[in-house]
Amino acid sequence: MRSRRDVLRDAKTGAGVLKCSGAEVLATRRTFITVSLAATGGLIVAMRADIDAQMTPPTEPAGFPTEYIQIDPDDRVLIWSAQPEMGEGTRTSLPMLIAEELDADWTMVRVDDAAMDPKYGGQGVGGSDAIRSDWDRLRRIGATARALLINAAAAQWNVPASECDTALHTVRHAATNRTARFGPLAARAATLTVPRDVPLKDASRYRLIGTRVNGTDNHRVVTGQGMFGIDVRLPGMKFAAIAKCPVFNGRPLTIDSTKARQVPGVRDIVEIKGLDNPTFLMPGVAVVADSTWAAFKGREALAIQWDEGPYAAESNATLTEQFQKLLAAPPATLHNSGRVDDALAAAATVVDNTYSFPFVSHATLEPHNCTADFRDGEMWVRGPIQMPMGVPSIVSRATGLPADKVHVHCTRIGGGFGRRLMSDYAAEAAIVAKAIRGAVMVVDSREGDLQHDYYRPAAMQRLRAGLDGEGKIVAWDHVIASCSRNAYRKDPRGEHSTETYGSYVGQVQRVQQLDADLQPTRIPNARLRYGAPLTGVATGAWRAPAHVVNAFVIETTIDELAARAKRSAVEMRLEILGESADVPKSDTDPSPYDPARMRAVLLAAAQRGAFAQPAPEGRARGIAMHHTFGAYCAHVVEVSAAAGPGSRKRVTIHKVVSVADVGQTVNLSMLEAQMQGGIIDGLGAAFYGEVPIERGRATSRNFGDYRMIRMREAPLAIDVHFLPSRLRPTGFGEPPLPPIGPAVANAIAALTGERIRVMPFSRAGYVL
Amino acid sequence: MTVIALSINNRPVQLDIDPDTPLLWALRDHLNLVGTKFGCGGGFCGACTVHLDGTAARACITPVSAAANRRITTIEGLSANGDHAAQRAWQEIDVPQCGYCQAGQIMTAAALLARTPNLSDDEITAAMNGNLCRCGTYVRIRQAVRRATELAAATRRGAE
Repeated sequence: MRSRRDVLRDAKTGAGVLKCSGAEVLATRRTFITVSLAATGGLIVAMRADIDAQMTPPTEPAGFPTEYIQIDPDDRVLIWSAQPEMGEGTRTSLPMLIAEELDADWTMVRVDDAAMDPKYGGQGVGGSDAIRSDWDRLRRIGATARALLINAAAAQWNVPASECDTALHTVRHAATNRTARFGPLAARAATLTVPRDVPLKDASRYRLIGTRVNGTDNHRVVTGQGMFGIDVRLPGMKFAAIAKCPVFNGRPLTIDSTKARQVPGVRDIVEIKGLDNPTFLMPGVAVVADSTWAAFKGREALAIQWDEGPYAAESNATLTEQFQKLLAAPPATLHNSGRVDDALAAAATVVDNTYSFPFVSHATLEPHNCTADFRDGEMWVRGPIQMPMGVPSIVSRATGLPADKVHVHCTRIGGGFGRRLMSDYAAEAAIVAKAIRGAVMVVDSREGDLQHDYYRPAAMQRLRAGLDGEGKIVAWDHVIASCSRNAYRKDPRGEHSTETYGSYVGQVQRVQQLDADLQPTRIPNARLRYGAPLTGVATGAWRAPAHVVNAFVIETTIDELAARAKRSAVEMRLEILGESADVPKSDTDPSPYDPARMRAVLLAAAQRGAFAQPAPEGRARGIAMHHTFGAYCAHVVEVSAAAGPGSRKRVTIHKVVSVADVGQTVNLSMLEAQMQGGIIDGLGAAFYGEVPIERGRATSRNFGDYRMIRMREAPLAIDVHFLPSRLRPTGFGEPPLPPIGPAVANAIAALTGERIRVMPFSRAGYVL
Repeated sequence: MTVIALSINNRPVQLDIDPDTPLLWALRDHLNLVGTKFGCGGGFCGACTVHLDGTAARACITPVSAAANRRITTIEGLSANGDHAAQRAWQEIDVPQCGYCQAGQIMTAAALLARTPNLSDDEITAAMNGNLCRCGTYVRIRQAVRRATELAAATRRGAE
């Protein structure tokens, strides 16, 4: 019999996805809210989730309750936040949803980690989805708790509940001028029947949602309290570093650990076999020691002969050769409408641009680490885990333990950016813990972290586009040759499905989020072709995955076409955006892509950024837009350039004006921070991000050669605007990135006449 | 192994340790002071910044033996209640995103503030440029350093 956790995990990872007429529909969970009396004499509000009967054997016990709110008699409110926190502010914005509907006084609210308890089954964030997926559920919990407090007051006063209302942390009965604070009502509320289908607040009554609220963990962060995975300390725990073959897909042939064992503090050597697919778990040799330093030194002292495997000759040059062949003869045609070749031949103006993109590392500042503790046949995994639901499965595959013996605790995460969607580190820690029958943290050095990442796929793209005599785009021929992050996963959607936009043409499903990439397919003659090289390099999702490169190609080419046609870059974009009615609507997507929202964002950015006005002497402006993960974003940048190191030009970004539509804003401080940080991260990756491949290995060593953007290089004037909206909110961790690279490249082109078609821009002679 | 005497956050500590061990690992793995962070191990990122005799230093490239007989201050010892001007400013400006680099940022800023009470933007940038923030919180870090100078000045006025 499958455990409840198995079922929940499958629901999250998609393993239990039901197929209905081609659409993926996650099995629905019946949820209902329960109350109980807290040990403090207060009220606990929990949500109980039952899995749909189709997925669960009838003998399965009822779902377990998940506590969200505790209201104590002294008026204090505790809200448990169940989602991992890695910098997007989920531990603040998600509790705000509950507190808003509860009508709680935020100064009386304390947020605690639900994440430390494995019973919170449906955990995990990704795809900027935290706010989107919890928006309804958390507000419903808050509203139900508020209704319970009203019912408790009404019973106490012997008046109809319908005559009562709430103000800040207080229930009122206006007719008799009575009020009661939440705290003293809590115990009675815990005994009442839970009302169902409680109405939610009208957005016009929001007091918290849409305001600036500072991070609930700020004090813990600034006082250096140990909250991160790497801070986990357990009695008697060891530290381990794993030697891995520097060549991707290689494995140890012979291991001589004599010298490693002589390093003071080294206790044990554990071989890690890896999984059949080395991308999920690489083989290696773990050195277990009393301290991280001893483990690192022990690892250096290992003498290992490697079987370097089939990709030992791979390099930037061999990849480029493959890309060029694929561009010349792409194997897959994903979209083809009209007559592209004829239209290009007949076009008055044709641009023919070839772009190249490197592998990029996530370089989370908290390096690769995870702790596991193996006791009495049970595995306790604790670390910077983004997808806890995936951990029991990979730990089970790696150790042979049943998945229900694997317990997962999430710590705060020192940066994700897509790296921690993979859970290889949890499997590594569990293998070592099981071998030493104790507690161990597996931790990597920066060098190891950079050399064994799941990189943003390297790619080359070629785009030919044609204008007619009136300067309208009439032909679009786009070829994407990209490493695929799906190939190794055997994703049934195909290796191209996350690296292109074309596979979604004609489909109207959950993938509407990619729709802004689709605008070119509304050009009368449009074609999209794809090919993937053979590579041993592990690839993965990197903040706004393929959008960053696709938006760069599309937005810089449109800018160039506008310049050739001597037309406004804004007007040309509006022309291919189309109208709302052009985009087929989906029944399942609650916030489908709407060109009208993209249009409003673009126009607002152009207006606020004074895009149509001349820039000050020696400066130029550039604009770009994009839609990802439900959010619409556009930037206008103002740049100048001066002689820099060598023959390179040093670019100064004087100002960025950014406009977004994220639906209803939840926490303006977090949203503004994501905009600022996303722009800066996007700039760093665009100008510097590059992991070169030589002799089958990543050559990046540390932050000395893997350049990260620093304060001196970051634009410090970033004007951020969110368009007012009452539509369903979306997360904003990723959407600011895709348009920033092209906005800067377009500004540089306006300034110098030179078009950048390579990332990192430093390869084109531009630095910050 | 050698016995090394250290003064950490005004407390004397004796460690039996390989003298080449970086101060970072002495703090984190031997003394459980985990507020000082490991980011790169090569002095590039500043996540491990501590004060040695009041000056900002990279704990990851400072051998523990070189810290003997010097006053070591870590983020845990910067203030009694997290109320150093930089810590207050960081919270007020809502600087942290993932938060991993921020202890190092604050330690660099605190050493700067102690040395130079009035700072121009260029001085702030020059002093903070060695500290990486992977989330790109630089806009707010600069605001927070400015705000910290105001808070520190107000505290000094209050003390006079």
